Amino acid sequence: MKGSLHPTTIFIRDAVKVFEKFGFDVFEGPEVDTEWYNFDVLNVPADHPSRDVQDTFWLKDGQVLRTHTSNSQVRYAERRKPPIKVVIPGRCFRNEATDQKHETTFYQLEGLYIDKDVEVGHLFWTLENFLKELYGDSVEVRFRPHHYPFVEPGMDVDIKFRGKWLEVLGSGMVHPTVLKNMKIDPEKYSGFAFGMGMDRLVMLRYGIEDIRQFYQNDLRFLKQFNS
Amino acid sequence: MKVSKQWLKEYVQIEVPDSELEDRLNKTGTEVDEVSAGIHPLVVVAEIKKIEKHPNADRLQIAIVTDGEKEYEVVCGALNIEVGQKVPFAKIGARLPEFSIEEAKIRGTVSHGMLCAPDELGLGEDHSGIMILSAQYELGKPLAEYLDQDTVFELEVTPNRGDCLSHFGIAREISAFLHGQTLKKEPISLQMSEEKADKVISVNISNSEDCPAYMARIIKNVKIGPSPLWLQEKLLKVGLRPINNIVDVTNYIMMDLGQPLHAFDLKKVQGSSIVVRRAKNDEKLLCLDGKERVLSSNILVISDSLGPIAIAGIIGGENSGVTPATTDIVLEAAQFNRKVIRKGKKILNVNTDASYRFERGIDSQGVEYALNKAAKIMAEICGGKILSGIVKESVVQPKIKIDIPTEKIREFLGITINNNEMFHILKSLGIEIKDGRAIVPSWRHDLSIWQDLAEEVGRIFGYNKVPLIPLPKTPKPPKSAFYIKETVKDNLVNLGFSEVKNYSFLSADEATIAGIKTSGLLEVANPLQPENRYLRNSLIPGLLKNISKNSSFDPVLIFEIGQVFSKEGESSMLGLAAAGKNADKLLEKAKSELLEKYNIKKHDLVVSKLTNDQAQKYKIRKPQTLFFEVNIDGIKKIKDNLDLKISNATIHYRKVSKYPSITRDLSFIVDAAVDASSLIDTLYTISENINRVELFDEFKSDKLGKDKKSLAFHLYLQDLDKTMIDEEADEIIKKAIEIIKKKFNATLRDK
Repeated sequence: MKGSLHPTTIFIRDAVKVFEKFGFDVFEGPEVDTEWYNFDVLNVPADHPSRDVQDTFWLKDGQVLRTHTSNSQVRYAERRKPPIKVVIPGRCFRNEATDQKHETTFYQLEGLYIDKDVEVGHLFWTLENFLKELYGDSVEVRFRPHHYPFVEPGMDVDIKFRGKWLEVLGSGMVHPTVLKNMKIDPEKYSGFAFGMGMDRLVMLRYGIEDIRQFYQNDLRFLKQFNS
Repeated sequence: MKVSKQWLKEYVQIEVPDSELEDRLNKTGTEVDEVSAGIHPLVVVAEIKKIEKHPNADRLQIAIVTDGEKEYEVVCGALNIEVGQKVPFAKIGARLPEFSIEEAKIRGTVSHGMLCAPDELGLGEDHSGIMILSAQYELGKPLAEYLDQDTVFELEVTPNRGDCLSHFGIAREISAFLHGQTLKKEPISLQMSEEKADKVISVNISNSEDCPAYMARIIKNVKIGPSPLWLQEKLLKVGLRPINNIVDVTNYIMMDLGQPLHAFDLKKVQGSSIVVRRAKNDEKLLCLDGKERVLSSNILVISDSLGPIAIAGIIGGENSGVTPATTDIVLEAAQFNRKVIRKGKKILNVNTDASYRFERGIDSQGVEYALNKAAKIMAEICGGKILSGIVKESVVQPKIKIDIPTEKIREFLGITINNNEMFHILKSLGIEIKDGRAIVPSWRHDLSIWQDLAEEVGRIFGYNKVPLIPLPKTPKPPKSAFYIKETVKDNLVNLGFSEVKNYSFLSADEATIAGIKTSGLLEVANPLQPENRYLRNSLIPGLLKNISKNSSFDPVLIFEIGQVFSKEGESSMLGLAAAGKNADKLLEKAKSELLEKYNIKKHDLVVSKLTNDQAQKYKIRKPQTLFFEVNIDGIKKIKDNLDLKISNATIHYRKVSKYPSITRDLSFIVDAAVDASSLIDTLYTISENINRVELFDEFKSDKLGKDKKSLAFHLYLQDLDKTMIDEEADEIIKKAIEIIKKKFNATLRDK
């Protein structure tokens, strides 16, 4: 009798499969990282309130548990030359009390594309097509301005789910400071980046009500995903 | 932050419906979390016709009310009602701020709605009794037509947009995107007394970098008391509690213009000089929240001749606070260094509405205006006299200018827009354009590069007008390590193992049980919970916990692929465990498959057997439990391709009950052509109480008949609200057999 894949794994695979079609590489970065890669390099200075947006687990040795997969953007790009096209799935952490809707542990999928003449329209095309592959052609997609320090401009992406707009992705055009930190000349190249939280989307897909289920490892739960 | 539509309308015309305003705010970057549209239309004016005693409760009454058309019987707890009064009546289906009205039986009597107190309608905090309405209100009319037609928007303002933390700031956005017009402030004229403020006090800033501007006005002969109703209502609407007229005005101006203010009691300020300086180490201040704080040179304070009287931009001191006895006040409006405020509030661990705005940046050119507006209102409602002149010290702040590369912006956004249109958008936001360069307004701290301007143009122009451009085709990259790990998962799933995901943490207890020395573990410096104290250095403790938890399964076959951590670094591991029936054989099979397909070295893959001691600690009662853990960094695959397997099978997710479930087996003989999955799909439809259907056996045999096969299923039966009992399980199984027999021409196979 077959066992089962974790529902988050199934979702990550579905997402990766789409980006594979668009020609993206897949990379996995470290879960424990330096403040530099998790924050500073991404234009999130220590003395700026945008750091408070994240509740960070700090380690006694000064490292952090990554608060997003964005920590791996610069790690991946600084060792390569454009065109850079990668998605980065992985586990992230948030230092907060847990309940039905909040978890210390969650999964994100990061994306990064850098080349000559990358425009906002490329970002929109990529995400809209990704969401259509995932949720069907009829899904409505909306881009909304939002602030993330590592992109400019930044946008949130919503889909219409049961008649309501639902935020599914954060994205934007890579900030010139971040490009410089990748050792890429922002005068010559531009790019986009995006990140999406997986757990909530998996919950929506199957109607799972409690986010903590993902890490309880109750086989009565897990074995339902034995496709 | 909450904003009221009526308040916004003092600055900007809003002709669009609330839903459109919400949509436009969202689309231009001010996220709307919630819209509360005043009193629900099903709350109507009703008249009390009759009041009776409740038959079963002394404290309740039954009111018969009419909306002019029909009479309703309503149970009511308040005793202030009388026949003939008009009252707010919430009909069945009405939504109130805290709850919705449903038909309810209260002590045996059905209540067809509810009579409301003011607080229940979101009109202040009064809960002393049912709200009595004017006799002139027309019966049956929605109450909203008479009272509170306001809509309150709860907004999420991103940390880069300190300028949006006020009604004026939001109105400025609305004016730009609705009307394409720049919002300007009305001039303020003050009536002042002869007495000069600078004869009373002086201001001294020790370092203008910490405090680029400090201004104060003095108002004498004020009378402290409650604020007028209009002011209280405005504050309540946006979530602030009225305190007294002076404090309320400072809060009002903060919500109005975004400028935090502070009022000192002039008579308590010692000496005649106010100094803005860094605190001395070990200076102390008892703050307005009743807590004494020990200060240091990182903290900026406002000081009189004796010592600190406020922590600049964060919180006031008790020693100089306004009390009911106060008659003369010093009203402060200042600009403090954002980084200094941020550092100070972090060190002191205090967050206030003031510090929140100062660390995000206020309008350096709006300080004086806010001070004047506050002084004017204070003089009006507190009856005081404003002394002439402003006591101030400030430095001139240079204007930031950005080149506007119009062509680049057009290409970057991919939109068709001419220069004039582009400049018009920028100007509508208050960005002046001079010699082709943008002059950043004093309230915008987030604009410094041309991409920032591109965002302003894009968000007002509308991202929905940006055409989509397909990505250029690029060669497929080679399959990375990610793919190899995924094939490992597939192989193990095929052998019956289920993937688990455990937390990356270990508590001190878990480390002790696992016999792990914590000295080698990475430790979290700020765990909120003891479970998050250490980072795991092995997947095994998690797997053993999982086996213990899943005691009803036999065998338990699980694996995890995940990161483990030590002071030497981080590595990817595969952990696998098998417990119970045939555990040894099943684990051996998995092991040989891994050794055969991947470049894992035999001596790296060491199988351990759970000792009795460990079994006891983990409360595992299976006769045999085996496990191994192996590093898979740099793992390579020897055979097979690396394609990602995607399943198209339907997954029937059902919530897992907290209560014990029952497992039953069913075997059917069906035509060989019948697909097992269609039987599974049908079984799921039989009852919501079937948590899971698992095919555990499928075989063909002539013994079953020509072209026949046997399908055997485990059915896991549960009840979300209680323990599943045999009788109910029998019922479901009986129904299942009937339906499957009929639908698939199946026969039940005897065991």
